[in-house]
Amino acid sequence: MKRRQGWLFFIIFLLTLSVYLLINYPLQLGLDLQGGSQLTLQIIKEEGKVTSDELEAVNSVIDKRVNNLGVSESNLQTLGGDQLILELPGEQNPLVASRVLGKTALLEFRTQKEGTSTDLKTLQLLRLSIKELIEQYSFEEKNQNNDNFLKVIQDDLEDIEQELNYSSTSNDLYGKLIEIKKYVDKEITNLFIKTDLSGKDLINAGRRQEQTNSNWEVLLTFSNSGGEKFAEITKSIAGTNQLLAIILDGESISEASVGNQFASTGITGGSATISGNFSAENARELEVQLKGGSLPLPIEIVETNTIGALLGSKNILKSLYAAISGLIFVGIFMIFNYRILGFVSVLSLVLYGFFNLALYSLIPVTLTLPGISGLILSIGMAVDANILIFERIREELYDGNTLTRSIDSGFQRANSSIVDGHITTLLSCFVLFLLGTNFVKGFAATLGIGVLISLFTALNCSKTILRFFTTYQSLRQKNLYLPKNNFSN
Amino acid sequence: MKYNLELIKNKRKIISFSTFLILLSLLGILYSTFNTSYKKPINLGMDFVGGNELRIERVCEEECSNLSPDSVLENLREISSNKNFINNIKLQFQNKNKLISIRTPYLSIEESNNLINNLDNIIGPLNYESKDSRLIGPKLGKRLLTNCVTSLLVSLFAISLYITIRFDKKYALFALLALFHDLLIVFGIFSWLGIILSVEVNSLFAVSLLTIAGYSVNDTVVIFDRIRENLKSKEDGYNETIQLSVNESFRRTTFTSITTLIPLLSIILFGSYSLFWFSLALSLGIIVGSYSSILLAPSLLLKD
Repeated sequence: MKRRQGWLFFIIFLLTLSVYLLINYPLQLGLDLQGGSQLTLQIIKEEGKVTSDELEAVNSVIDKRVNNLGVSESNLQTLGGDQLILELPGEQNPLVASRVLGKTALLEFRTQKEGTSTDLKTLQLLRLSIKELIEQYSFEEKNQNNDNFLKVIQDDLEDIEQELNYSSTSNDLYGKLIEIKKYVDKEITNLFIKTDLSGKDLINAGRRQEQTNSNWEVLLTFSNSGGEKFAEITKSIAGTNQLLAIILDGESISEASVGNQFASTGITGGSATISGNFSAENARELEVQLKGGSLPLPIEIVETNTIGALLGSKNILKSLYAAISGLIFVGIFMIFNYRILGFVSVLSLVLYGFFNLALYSLIPVTLTLPGISGLILSIGMAVDANILIFERIREELYDGNTLTRSIDSGFQRANSSIVDGHITTLLSCFVLFLLGTNFVKGFAATLGIGVLISLFTALNCSKTILRFFTTYQSLRQKNLYLPKNNFSN
Repeated sequence: MKYNLELIKNKRKIISFSTFLILLSLLGILYSTFNTSYKKPINLGMDFVGGNELRIERVCEEECSNLSPDSVLENLREISSNKNFINNIKLQFQNKNKLISIRTPYLSIEESNNLINNLDNIIGPLNYESKDSRLIGPKLGKRLLTNCVTSLLVSLFAISLYITIRFDKKYALFALLALFHDLLIVFGIFSWLGIILSVEVNSLFAVSLLTIAGYSVNDTVVIFDRIRENLKSKEDGYNETIQLSVNESFRRTTFTSITTLIPLLSIILFGSYSLFWFSLALSLGIIVGSYSSILLAPSLLLKD
């Protein structure tokens, strides 16, 4: 009896601890419960697997970009070796984040090949006209002027294609426009030779509004060695008709000549500006990308989930209704069938609920919808163990054994089949947790934790509570344990 | 209360009934593979094929006006720049015209934002707080599918291994037969649901299959344990002992199934819509699993 009393105090201690934990460390709610956006970023590698170093490098670049964007309370984590998950809580539009994160932001400085001036001029003109066509297309589309504009743009596009000696393969007009623009960009880039100066040589980036007009420019600050390289490069082309191109992700964003006055030393001072007609927004995005450095491997956004805050709070309420009604109906069922025993199992269920939630805030487990369904489902499974035990106790009672003996052997004999039965469920949870997606992991975690805790509450807690009850003489009548008064003895 | 299931008498009926269910499931799977637009054994949802799913509520003063999906689509078509996805769009009104639910092929975040803006122009104002949008790229979908199939196979293998070690051959074989019977029937039901009601399965369906596997084996193990125990101690005939064991554990098995079904039913009734089909699959699995544990698996053990 002494030992059982020890358990009783231990259980009360655990309960107090759980309540304390829950008050001081509130549960972390997933985005489907609090509202927000979740982006899954896939690292693209053509050959071989993404190494952990590469994953780490991509992670740190993305992390810097997210921080520089000023997104509040964002959360970035890696998933399965080649994916990253970015969570943006609240009503933050994932659009900006997706634009900034998706780009590799590989910055290159290139010098023009000799004798390509005429080619470059032609291409620059073509680039200008294709840009205009794209703008025109978006404008007309928005204002739904008339269908003739399509024809006009189509004709203009064909002229450009003819001049380029290249025909596009896309199906729709917009796709064609974009394809041709990419082709022109590539052709321009090809007229320039790589130098050893790149985005790696930057130590900072900034932006400011140009003085003469409302456009923005982006300022680059080089490291010491970068500054030297920049001086060297500008010196080599100063005063010639070769241009210096700044190329971002294969697209030249600025081509500029270097004046004769720099012929002896090059442009010194370790900084440069890119002024390519940036809007405030574009300049900021470029700044964030350059500050974070370029991604060692390209990434693609493969999944975006957005859930409104209202829907999130509705989801919490619905889950709460489901959990509480489930608990109540299971309780009614148990008390109806097992009387006092059923009441004991309800008490252990309540303990079970508290322990579970406390553990979630301790580990911590982020609670999501599938996670809650795992928790609710595990309520049913937690009662399973109780039913196994109670059935044994009933049998013992029917066989004419005393109450104390029946309870003892009931717990003892049901032990092995309970542990056994839980193993298969745990196996499934384990596999789910290892191989599942983020979404599925939540379910596996709560169900798995639930099954483990239920071993403790169903075996130990219910036994302790039952023992405590049976110390009262008035609670020791057999008919409080059996619904039908038909046992022998 | 004593139960008296006449297992020995009804062996044939039970086995025929299960065979019938399995054939029906196979028929659904075959029909779904060859005679539907998606040409898959089951109607794979967005999780596996990629796409864009959007649910958003309209802001209405009292009741939301009745709108025909076709006219909304017509308007969308007129103002959208990307004609490509507009042709493959599915649009529905639910909850007294308040809730709009839209399915399209995969869109970028930018395109999806445009779609929402266009919608706002046509049937707005919309309540952005109620937005639920999911965009899944086709690459990720394929990967999820492989992941799900792998986890199913791995855990089925692990469970089979566990059972083979724990029981001797005959018991293990029949327990596994019962397990595959349960999974096949639940799969078949969802094949039919896909054919008839266009119900799609997502990654949570794979999770429910895995959970059903664990649960179903658990139930069968308990009954087989009882049979083994009784075969050692009881002096009745072999078949009679099996029948007795089943009746002894009948209460226990149905009760545990009921207590597991109760919380699932509360999710179906009160929970979020995203858990509806998941809970339904689990409930079906538990019902079929209890049936196979109580009636089918022990019947297979019976001698003629």
